[in-house]
Amino acid sequence: MKRILCVLFSLMLLVGCSSTPAADSSSTEDTKEPTAQTSSINVYTRDATSGTREAFEKAIGLEELTATAIEVSSNGDMATKVGTDENGIGYVSLSTDFAANNVKPLNFEGVEPSEETVLDGSYGMQRPFSYVTRAAGDFGSTEKEQLVAAFIDYLCNSTEGMLVVESAGGVVDLSKGTPWAELAKNHPIVNQDNSSITISTAGSTSVEKTLKAALESFVPLAGNFQFVMNQTGSGDGYKRVLGEEKTGVNAADIGFASRSFNEDEDVSTAMSSGQYAIDAVVTIVNADNTLSDISADSLNQIYSGTLTDFNAVK
Amino acid sequence: MSRKLKDSLLNSITYLCAFLGVLVLGSILIYVLINGLKLINVDLLKNDYWSKNYLVAVENDQSSTFECDGCKGYFSSKWGVSFIDEVTSHNEKVISVEYIAENSPFEQLTSLTAGETYGQIVPMEKGYMIEKIDYIDSEGNTAIAGKILKQDAQALQESLDNASSITSIYMKSPGGGIRGSLIATLYLILISLIISLPIGIASAIYLNEYADKSKINRWLRQGIETLTGVPSIVYGLMGVSVLFPVTTVFGATGTSILLGGLTMAIILLPTIIRSVEEALIVVPQSLRDASLSLGATKSQTIFKVVLPCCMNGILTGVLLSIGRVIGESAALIYTMGTFISDNPVINGPATSLSLMIWSFMSAEQPNFELACAISIIILSVVLILNIVVKIVGKKLSKNFV
Repeated sequence: MKRILCVLFSLMLLVGCSSTPAADSSSTEDTKEPTAQTSSINVYTRDATSGTREAFEKAIGLEELTATAIEVSSNGDMATKVGTDENGIGYVSLSTDFAANNVKPLNFEGVEPSEETVLDGSYGMQRPFSYVTRAAGDFGSTEKEQLVAAFIDYLCNSTEGMLVVESAGGVVDLSKGTPWAELAKNHPIVNQDNSSITISTAGSTSVEKTLKAALESFVPLAGNFQFVMNQTGSGDGYKRVLGEEKTGVNAADIGFASRSFNEDEDVSTAMSSGQYAIDAVVTIVNADNTLSDISADSLNQIYSGTLTDFNAVK
Repeated sequence: MSRKLKDSLLNSITYLCAFLGVLVLGSILIYVLINGLKLINVDLLKNDYWSKNYLVAVENDQSSTFECDGCKGYFSSKWGVSFIDEVTSHNEKVISVEYIAENSPFEQLTSLTAGETYGQIVPMEKGYMIEKIDYIDSEGNTAIAGKILKQDAQALQESLDNASSITSIYMKSPGGGIRGSLIATLYLILISLIISLPIGIASAIYLNEYADKSKINRWLRQGIETLTGVPSIVYGLMGVSVLFPVTTVFGATGTSILLGGLTMAIILLPTIIRSVEEALIVVPQSLRDASLSLGATKSQTIFKVVLPCCMNGILTGVLLSIGRVIGESAALIYTMGTFISDNPVINGPATSLSLMIWSFMSAEQPNFELACAISIIILSVVLILNIVVKIVGKKLSKNFV
């Protein structure tokens, strides 16, 4: 009795183990099979914490997502899944390699997604990465204030800073860049030992990747300063720099938001404020799909579940 | 007959349930192992989380060419260094240095960063990641190469072979390690146990040895037991508002390990009180009577006779507490912060290992593999601590029964 049960148990364990890693792929196949004959749309979306999802839903004015939407965990995952699903539709960031994933980027409201159209503002599905600093004279020390000013200059105006931001996924206008060696002349602070200065940042989590890359590359250029990133959400960007939390436990030197600062957030008192990069979201379909252009309205209908057939998309 | 049937039915249900439990736990363990094991290596344990960033200059000596027999990657014979494409544990594509030839200019890198280290030699090691190289090409134009131009190792090597001199190199040491968080986790366990153990044991002794069976004491006990059910995030919020002023006395300016430890100590109290009390109940009354009849006072009896006997209960409390502290994340998000620190100090912010998992999983691109790898480390830390505590406990425990 015992021996039989032991064998049975170990068999079950084996079966359980071998099926766990494969569970993902089998579940997507399940969703694919029944729809292969019909051309009903399979809607793919990102997990709820994703900044890309937030930007996408805002751009198409989505209020409630359809219950049949399939959630994927990352940008790459989204591209792979849509690339293998003829009837799939999803959205990724502009830096994705479309051809390699067998997906096709769609024009949004007739405008082709590209760095040029994003930068000139004609491509609508985009959001700015904005920053705001503390008020001049409110940094605690003049060295820190000068260093923050140097960093902002590096981030927004130098070729090196722009390249770093671009390689981390932001869209920047490289033609406006100036070599850092020239800009550095205005910032004598970077030529001294700054290892005792700590710059703290707050705000959006979406800017984290570009910001981390920029800060890390600026450290050796500016005397080994320290930095602390406490990214919690766009709302905290203004609050912890100029708003009600500017003197509290969570006070920061530079705040970030993955949107423009709104009317309640008065940035006029800041030492400097602006945007350093743009994040663009692109709607993708499978490469075999004949669709090439989509409007915000159609996307809204597809993602809210009222439009379920690609042939009906105008 | 029906008796037999009933028995076998009950037996099989028991077996089935036991198997289900072990099956689920075993599957989780194997899932974690399959996904995480390939990322576990000494570097993960040893490295800092944050890379060190260097801006360095190369001595431009063009006299010799270098050879590389059998070294991997794309080898630049002009500079004597080879690069490979790698993917870090954070799923980032990088170009890293694989091999540096003897007497290569890359052996003599001097720091260009302002400050004390200016002009000092930076040792280049295998595994360093090349982000950007500023160089002057064969036609005398300045150019840039490296990862930030989305180049791969081959393109970097080709650019370098075309360079007549190198102006500067921006490189990073390999980061992504969990050493800081591991140390912070041990600090956290230590602080919370140091605070909660004496209080917990004393409370248990009071409840079991001194307290009479009045209504108030019954309510007290009931209250302590109910506290185990309070969601830990509530304790976390309480920690921020009530305990933060306490930690400022010790020099904390924001979230800190100390604040996390104090909060965890409160979360642990019910568990410790409960397990110690249960052990106290089991100590036979005859032992106490014997001790008292020999002329010992009540406190002598408790501390010299009763307490050594319930060492096992205290140990159970400690073991449960370690598991609780190491697995807690909700309460610590508010009290310890989410900034990963490489050199944790008691009154500064840091993350514990489970907080690290939380921040990796809530990032823009969730990283399951790394989360599983950290889970494996958490499991082994718990295992090691449990064994240590058991060995120490055996040495301390006395059994008069």
